[in-house]
Amino acid sequence: MPTILVLDDSATMVMSLSHILKGAGYDVETGMNGREGIAKLTDGVKPSVILTDLNMPELDGIGFIKEARKIPSARYTPIIVLTTESGGRKRDEARAAGASGWLTKPAEPNQLLSVMKQLCPVK
Amino acid sequence: MSEAEEQNEGLVCAILAEQVAILRDRMDASEAFDLLWQTSALLSWLAGLLIDIDQHLPRTNPLLGKEREEAIAKITSIRHQLDHLAFFQAQRHDFARQIADCIITALERLSSAQMPEGTRFASADLAALYVSDDQRRLHEDVLLRLQTE
Repeated sequence: MPTILVLDDSATMVMSLSHILKGAGYDVETGMNGREGIAKLTDGVKPSVILTDLNMPELDGIGFIKEARKIPSARYTPIIVLTTESGGRKRDEARAAGASGWLTKPAEPNQLLSVMKQLCPVK
Repeated sequence: MSEAEEQNEGLVCAILAEQVAILRDRMDASEAFDLLWQTSALLSWLAGLLIDIDQHLPRTNPLLGKEREEAIAKITSIRHQLDHLAFFQAQRHDFARQIADCIITALERLSSAQMPEGTRFASADLAALYVSDDQRRLHEDVLLRLQTE
């Protein structure tokens, strides 16, 4: 079963995303900020896709992407940014840091699952 | 503005920041969302159970079989609607929380504790705290409206 790493500082969002993804057949690992995300990766979690918010305390989404890209096992892992930010500048910044794609909140569950299935289909 | 007036304004901002923080914390709806997800999971389980029953029991009564199929379709449809509603509401809730965070930060900076004497908090400082384009658009609209009034 493919694993998705979900990072968001909102407990409600983490819960919601976990429910949607588990319902579609994915395993889900979670973290409340970028620092927790990096800890998961260095602890050996090898997600098929990483879904991250941008505005998080301690280490934000952009910082997380930059750090994650330095970890060999996560260098090529698709990282999708899910955020309320829809501005071009932030998007460029995330892309430059190594983000693979972008979803703007509020996103539809089907929209989210469609992206996940394209990146890592559940067998 | 006199020093006393400035201090009083700073105090008001500090109190308002605390009040908005309480309001934000009261907005916590995680229990309601948890219940929504539990209901959705229960509906999913019920639909699975009905499918199992449908497959394993002999179809002696065609009417009952048809009703089981209708029940499965309705349960599945409601579950999808529930998932959709909960996911959408969770995102709206998150957005409201972020706006509250922004207001709290702005009020804290305006309070006497963080605002050194003689300094000012400009609208551009507020804009730097935004986390979404919706907030920036609203900011621009308000500035435009106030300039034309």
